[in-house]
Amino acid sequence: MIEFNDVTKIFPNGTVALENINLKIEDGEFVFIVGASGAGKSTLMRLLLREEQVTSGVLRVGDYNLNKIPNYKIPYYRRQLGMVFQDFRLFDKKTVYENVAFAMRVIGEPTSVIKRRVPTILSIVGLVDKYKNFPSELSGGEQQRVALARALANNPRIIIADEPTANIDPKMKMEIMNLLVKINSKGKTVIVVTHEKNIVDYFQKRVITIRDGHIVEDRIGGMFEEDETV
Amino acid sequence: MRRYNIFYFFQQAFKGLWRNGLMSLAAITVLLSCLVLMGSFSLLVYNVNVNIEEVAQLNEIVVIAELDATDEQIAALSEEIAALDNIKEVKYISEEEGLESERFRYGEYSYLVDDIFENQENILPDVFKITYEDNSRVANLVYQLGQLDHVSKVNNRTDIANDIENIKSGVSFIFVWFLAILFVISIFIIINTIKLGVESRNREISAMRYIGATNFFMMTPFIIEGIIIGLISAGLAYLLQTILYNAIFNAMSNDYKMISVTPLSEVQTYLILGFIVIGVIAGILGSAISLRKYMKV
Repeated sequence: MIEFNDVTKIFPNGTVALENINLKIEDGEFVFIVGASGAGKSTLMRLLLREEQVTSGVLRVGDYNLNKIPNYKIPYYRRQLGMVFQDFRLFDKKTVYENVAFAMRVIGEPTSVIKRRVPTILSIVGLVDKYKNFPSELSGGEQQRVALARALANNPRIIIADEPTANIDPKMKMEIMNLLVKINSKGKTVIVVTHEKNIVDYFQKRVITIRDGHIVEDRIGGMFEEDETV
Repeated sequence: MRRYNIFYFFQQAFKGLWRNGLMSLAAITVLLSCLVLMGSFSLLVYNVNVNIEEVAQLNEIVVIAELDATDEQIAALSEEIAALDNIKEVKYISEEEGLESERFRYGEYSYLVDDIFENQENILPDVFKITYEDNSRVANLVYQLGQLDHVSKVNNRTDIANDIENIKSGVSFIFVWFLAILFVISIFIIINTIKLGVESRNREISAMRYIGATNFFMMTPFIIEGIIIGLISAGLAYLLQTILYNAIFNAMSNDYKMISVTPLSEVQTYLILGFIVIGVIAGILGSAISLRKYMKV
């Protein structure tokens, strides 16, 4: 479970990015986080990734209290999260296979486990036949699927996707979202930060709307309000 | 607990070196140059010191005994001198040997010596020529010699000894500072090289961080990269130094026999060890310092 208890984040220059956020995301939930640029979505993500620390309040993710986690434990905490970015952040000089394998290498998985698991993950995202390709040889949608496969590599409890459909063609957008829904159906918590009204409206999941550092709406099956987008 | 595969780190380090080929080459060239400069300067200082020592060994103290000292008194004086501290060798020159030496000095006019000293006794005093161990304690030795019975005079060149000591200290002082400056320059160059490598892979490193890579995992290939740069530079520096030194050694041996040049074989172990140690430390320090800001959580 992810739990924000009265969380406030104020940056050193005095900017109040988030104020008194109270939020609970249960295990296995699918959540859209929406809001205009500068609303506080990115700060919320950075707090979840423990790139930033809360100024006040308490933030817990699973067994970790992110206010108190020592620096050396942060990499181990992050292994519970699978991150997907809008710019994919793939390793350009590694093949599809190596990109996924690398995530497992990072946590010290033995080669035998990597060899067994990578094809399975690639089959989930439908890229088994492209395992030898480099990212530059793939379409945007395919690259995002590699990123998704990499995020899944270490069997994380939570998938956080930051604008996962922003840089891919319309046809592929639904494919990526369907994959995320499929992953969610296997019991993983999925958090999607997005600007895309059509997608949010189509999937009818929980929608948390942030405006000026506050949660202004939290509805299950909610619709994306037009004036909250950029 | 899971263990990282050490071969993976080496593979990444070599890939990094290859990928940033030009910068790696620049780092190796600069470090190599610094090492050769350090090596040349060390060898120069070593040889200067060896030659200074040799000059110092030419220094001797001359103790002149009283003219009327008896043979027994001279024998006792000889023993007393030999018993003093810092004595390397004592050479006794009798009156007869002194005359012989004078005749030799005058060469074809040696008959003049005989003419002057003919039928005279106790013309030349007995003399002790003393060489010593330690330049820095000459003054003390001269004082002790002057205090002995039946010593008429003590001649020495303490001023030369002091000058030699001053030159040695000065050379050592410059040597240490020069080495330190070259070492800092080497590290600075490596920092910039590794930093460029890290910056070009900043996106990759940030992605690694999100995947849950530890600092150890991210830093190790770069540190190994630094060590490899250090080792390659040390090896090449040794080769270049050998060529340079042998060329100088041969030239000096032929043309300037007054100056003695130590053969490289006498110092090569220290030279290669020094290059490796300095190269590797510069590599590790350079990598570690350049990575510091990227290793935030």
